[in-house]
Amino acid sequence: MKLRVVYGLILLLAILPWFIGSRYIFHIATMIVIMIPLVLGMHLMVRIGQLSLAHPAFWGVGAYASALLTMRLGMPPLLSILVGALIPSLMALVLGPIFLRIKGVFFVLLTFAFGEIVDLVFQEWTDLFGGNSGLYGIPKFSILGLRLTQIPHYYVLGLIAAVLIYLLMRAIERSDIGAILESLNEDEMLSRSMGANALAWRVAAFVVSAFVAGISGGIYAFYIGFLSPDPFGFQTIVDLIVMVTVGGAGTVLGPVLGAIVTVPLPELLRDAREYQLMIYGVCLIGFMKFAKQGLISFIVDKRSGA
Amino acid sequence: MTAPLLLVEGLTRRFGGLIAASDVSFAVAPGEIFGIIGPNGAGKTTLFNVIAGHYRPTSGRVAFEGTDISGHASDEVGRRGIARTFQAVHVFKNETVRANLHRAAILARRHNPLAWLSRHPHATPDLEGTAAFLGLDKLLDNVAGSLAYGLQKTVGVGLAMMVGPKLMLMDEPAAGLNPSEKIAAAALIRRLRDERGISVLLVEHDMPLVMGICDRILVLNQGIPIALGTPAEVKSNQAVIDAYLGEDYEFA
Repeated sequence: MKLRVVYGLILLLAILPWFIGSRYIFHIATMIVIMIPLVLGMHLMVRIGQLSLAHPAFWGVGAYASALLTMRLGMPPLLSILVGALIPSLMALVLGPIFLRIKGVFFVLLTFAFGEIVDLVFQEWTDLFGGNSGLYGIPKFSILGLRLTQIPHYYVLGLIAAVLIYLLMRAIERSDIGAILESLNEDEMLSRSMGANALAWRVAAFVVSAFVAGISGGIYAFYIGFLSPDPFGFQTIVDLIVMVTVGGAGTVLGPVLGAIVTVPLPELLRDAREYQLMIYGVCLIGFMKFAKQGLISFIVDKRSGA
Repeated sequence: MTAPLLLVEGLTRRFGGLIAASDVSFAVAPGEIFGIIGPNGAGKTTLFNVIAGHYRPTSGRVAFEGTDISGHASDEVGRRGIARTFQAVHVFKNETVRANLHRAAILARRHNPLAWLSRHPHATPDLEGTAAFLGLDKLLDNVAGSLAYGLQKTVGVGLAMMVGPKLMLMDEPAAGLNPSEKIAAAALIRRLRDERGISVLLVEHDMPLVMGICDRILVLNQGIPIALGTPAEVKSNQAVIDAYLGEDYEFA
């Protein structure tokens, strides 16, 4: 019952921008829905017991790839978002078998190093990515002759993608695949003794999570219309960790709440920008100390499955 | 004589300068309950772990149904039809007994993402039937972690059964059980063989249990096999008596 109230509230929030009608509110709402697939991708890795710091890089690869596919090859935007998202998943498919043999802090460090390398490539390969001065002239998103020119149009696009990917991740979690991933995380020795190929399943999760991060990147590229390496660096890593922690990693709904709460924070704290990271830190400590399961734990207990 | 189900030939495992298992050979016949015993540090667990795929043998080989499986990873060993139970309780504690058994079935059948649609070569026993066999049918909706220790170990046997194994490796099935639970465990192991046709290879400290249910027993001492035979033969073997001398073991 309480869960329905939460879904209702989220629905209300989702349509709220139209009642306020401000471009600024639409922008924040659009950023929230763009972040949702990315944080859900990161969350899937958390569910298999791995904190991936590579996801901002996957996000960036998805963004640059889809932008370039449309700009250089003239691919229709929707197709280039989908194809663009395949590139980070391919990277995950190649890197996964190496990275995912390693657990815990070393996996975190490896993915961090990978993210830094990707960020450097964005900065240094100026012919392709435009370097620090950025990649200009990404065309507007268009589909079936419909051209998205206004912020609310992108909000709708992002919202559709966020809902679809939320439903996908929830379906994965509730399916046998979710049970397998959770079994491997809970007791790897036991799960393997029954025949499960732990590495193969982890790589599959990594590939899917990189794909949804890539989708998020593609939509971001067409929305912003200009890409620089800046958003794909360390700050986004911190933001994603805050979202997962504040929202709660126990269910798929948690990170969504995390994104809804966390994305607008920098805007609310605009006058206290220099304190932003400090406030993040305090929030993180507070949640880890007093509400390890995140916001979601105030609403629903884990077992009822949101 | 029928072809052995499991064949261990000249198996040696060293850890640096320590020889944990030295030139061990034995065969488990189909339908046999085979026990491995020995004083502490005899190398039983090492031998068990080599067969279960946790360690590579330093030399020698392990073959299952005529196929060499030496050095195969534990999940490959599992997929070949060798299930295992653990000395300590290993179950999915937060899940119900039903969910535990279901998970075991899907972990075996859908062992990797590409096998999602393909079928596991071994038939998976039905969940209700397995629960009834183990006497867990009334407890299917209880959370596994809330059950008594002995029952949790029984759930562990259920998990192994759901894989549809031909051979079950049991690491100290009686460890941590009270006397009446031990009797039940012995009966269960016998029924696994008699009613389900699952051969059993067990490592155990509990002498009455081993002597009572095993068809044949291998005795290890300091990594070296010192006797192999029926319980009666092993009990009267002088090397075995010497190995256990001074310890509080009583041969039942």
